[in-house]
Amino acid sequence: MIQSFLSAFNNICAVVAQSTPSMNSWLIVSSAIFSIGLYGLLTRRNAVAVLMAVELMLNSAAFNFVIFNHYCKPSTVDGQIMAIFIIAVAAAEVVVGMAIFVALFRYKKTVDVNEMNLLKG
Amino acid sequence: MTGQAVFAITFYALSVAALSLAFAVVTARKLLRAAIALMGVLSMSAGFYVMLEAEFLAGIQVLVYVGGIVILMIFAVMLTRSADLMEKDPTFLRKLLGAASSLSFFCSTVVVLRTSPFLQSAEPVTATTENARVIGRALMDYGPTGYVLPFELVSLLLLAALIGGIVISRKTLPFEQPFTSGGDLPGEADFVVPLTQSDKAVEGGDR
Repeated sequence: MIQSFLSAFNNICAVVAQSTPSMNSWLIVSSAIFSIGLYGLLTRRNAVAVLMAVELMLNSAAFNFVIFNHYCKPSTVDGQIMAIFIIAVAAAEVVVGMAIFVALFRYKKTVDVNEMNLLKG
Repeated sequence: MTGQAVFAITFYALSVAALSLAFAVVTARKLLRAAIALMGVLSMSAGFYVMLEAEFLAGIQVLVYVGGIVILMIFAVMLTRSADLMEKDPTFLRKLLGAASSLSFFCSTVVVLRTSPFLQSAEPVTATTENARVIGRALMDYGPTGYVLPFELVSLLLLAALIGGIVISRKTLPFEQPFTSGGDLPGEADFVVPLTQSDKAVEGGDR
C-alpha cells in the first residue's frame, strides 16, 4: 500500500519536474508584468495610479537583471547590484513624485493627469 | 527530483499570483486596493528572488519596496484624497488602445525571446550561503569591476531626492515672513503678521 503510494508520488514528481521553468519562462513572466504595467500607464487617469504602474514596470526590469544574472553568470552578483540600484532610484522617484502630487493637489485640488495642461498654449 | 517538482510548482503558483495581483493594480477602481495589490506583487517578486538565489535582494525588496515605497504611496493616495474618489472607468477607446499596445509589446517580446539564443552558463549553479557578503564586497570595491562610484552617486541622489521632496511639498510662505503659519495660496493664510511701519517703508521703496 505504502509502496504503491510512494511510487505514484515519485511518478507525479517526475512529471512535474519535466516542466522545471527554464530561463524563457522566467523572462516571459517578467515581460507579462511589464506589459500589465504599460497597460496601467496608458489607461489610468489618477497620477498616483500612474506612478503605481511605473513601479510595476521598474520592478519587472530589476527582475530581468536578476534572471540574467542567475542563468548567464551565476558566479558574479552584477545583476543583483543593478537591481539594488534600480530599487534605490525607484525610491527617490517615488519621494519626488509624491511631493509633486501633494503640491499639485493643494494648488489645483485634483491629481487627474488629463487636467494637467498648464503649459498648453 | 522532488526538489525540482517543488521548485516548478512554486514558480507557477507565484507567477499566477503575481500576474493576477498586477492586473488588480492596474484595474482596481479604489486606489487603496490597488496599493495593497502592489504590495502583493512586490512580495511575490521577493519570492522569485529567493528562488533565483538572491536572498539579500529579496530582503531589500521587502524592506524598501513593501515597507517603504508602498507605504509612501498609501500616504500619497490619502493626502490627495484619491481614496474617497472612485476613479472613473477609462473610456472604451482608451482601454482598447492600452490593451492593444501592451499586448503587442508582450507578443513581440515573446517572439524575440523564442528566437534569440542566450549565452547561458554551463557551470552548475551552486547555492552560496554568503550572498550578502559578496554583494557588500562588490559595492565597496574600487577596482575595475567594483561599484563604489555608482554607490556613492546613489547616496547623493537619495539626499537630493530627500531635500527636493521636502522643498516641493512644503507650504510656500509669504515674503519675508518665514514664521507665519499660513501660505500664500488663497485659503491657506490663516495667520498673517501685520506689516510694521518700517516694513511698509521698505515695500514702497525700490522693490
